Amino acid sequence: MAKKSAKSTKVEPAAGGKAPKKYVSPKISIEPLDAHVSRADLIFDGLDHSGPSFEARVFLNNDGANAETPTTAENGYAGSFHIFGHGGCYGDDITHCQIRGPRRPYDPRPGHPLTPARKVLIATDALRLARAKGGEITVTIVPVVYDPSPKADYSDVLKLDSISVESYV
Amino acid sequence: MANGFTLRPSVEALEKTPGGLDALRDAYGKMQALTDNRGWTYWAGIHGFPQFLCWHHGRVGSGSLLPYNLFLPWHRAYLHYWEHTARDQNSKMVLPWWDWTAAGSHTTGIPKSFTVKTVDGKKNSLASGPRPAMPGVPAGPTKRAPGSPAALPTAAAVNALMDLGNFVDLDVQLEDIHDNVHGWCGGDMGQVARAAFDPIFWSHHCMIDRIWYLWQLKNGINNIPDDYKDKPLAPFNLRVRDVLDINRLGYEYGHASSIVVTKT
Repeated sequence: MAKKSAKSTKVEPAAGGKAPKKYVSPKISIEPLDAHVSRADLIFDGLDHSGPSFEARVFLNNDGANAETPTTAENGYAGSFHIFGHGGCYGDDITHCQIRGPRRPYDPRPGHPLTPARKVLIATDALRLARAKGGEITVTIVPVVYDPSPKADYSDVLKLDSISVESYV
Repeated sequence: MANGFTLRPSVEALEKTPGGLDALRDAYGKMQALTDNRGWTYWAGIHGFPQFLCWHHGRVGSGSLLPYNLFLPWHRAYLHYWEHTARDQNSKMVLPWWDWTAAGSHTTGIPKSFTVKTVDGKKNSLASGPRPAMPGVPAGPTKRAPGSPAALPTAAAVNALMDLGNFVDLDVQLEDIHDNVHGWCGGDMGQVARAAFDPIFWSHHCMIDRIWYLWQLKNGINNIPDDYKDKPLAPFNLRVRDVLDINRLGYEYGHASSIVVTKT
């Protein structure tokens, strides 16, 4: 399958309180998306997984989506990805969970366990539908923490570097 | 186990077999009582706290400048060592898989055999495991906070994975389903650092391993990038190529309706 790619700029968090803040991306062009693609993915890079586990609900062209929004195609729901989080730092001090710098030559050890994650959401139907309606999308990510502690601050649970769209023809 | 080859059954099948879970409970109970390198916290501590050797979400590892993920082969090796360690305590112990796609799971959630507090008047070693003291958290038994049973992954979601012909693609998608179940279980299972201290961890990962095996049957036992095959699965004395064929590891998977049998 030939692969086409369209990448967004870095996304910024929307405003919020102690509840998890959602992300609303800038507009992402999906002009290259052919109507006859066999598969189209939303790719989330640089995801932090140091905190609690959560579901990330992904909506297209629905900047107002929140945790109460029904997960239906009518609301632009494209699917969810899930983060199995480390649950916080259990080292002697905070440097335990700071990702080490560039690998030293001859260092055979695996990289740091908190190396940012990549998630791939296969969202063919949702992206086809969005493409039929126009050449751009916004991506709203609504994090829902599975097992919230009432005292914890989850406002920054969702951190990522970029979102991209890849399609296969 | 005449020749040591075992058939891993489902939890559901063992629950339907009189005494089917006795060996598992006995082995886990004995491991939980040990504090040395045969014990529960030693082996569970390889995954998260304090050793943090598990592979999730990809890392930049040896021989590569880009992240890659050994999630599936690393956990296969881990389960293999775990099962033999448990079998040291009870030679009849076999690791069962929790089918969270089954109708029963979508009704009751975590199998009852893993939730009842006592069995025959004794503590049920499948209900919780000992977790050591961690910075800021005192030692104690593992706990869960499961979600709605209907929210567990469906068989359709797992079946869709079988059509992914590329190992890396499978690994990413199957790990996401795995992440969902960890979060759904909540409590200790919802944290990488603490999950392996919960007894259900092992049967959850047995299900993940089985799904990979079913995918391998359709897409090829050796279907994995060549440059993965020699990567070590520390701290186990195995490389990726050593864990691709589960028959060479001495086990096979049975169907939900099967009972524990021995291949001869």
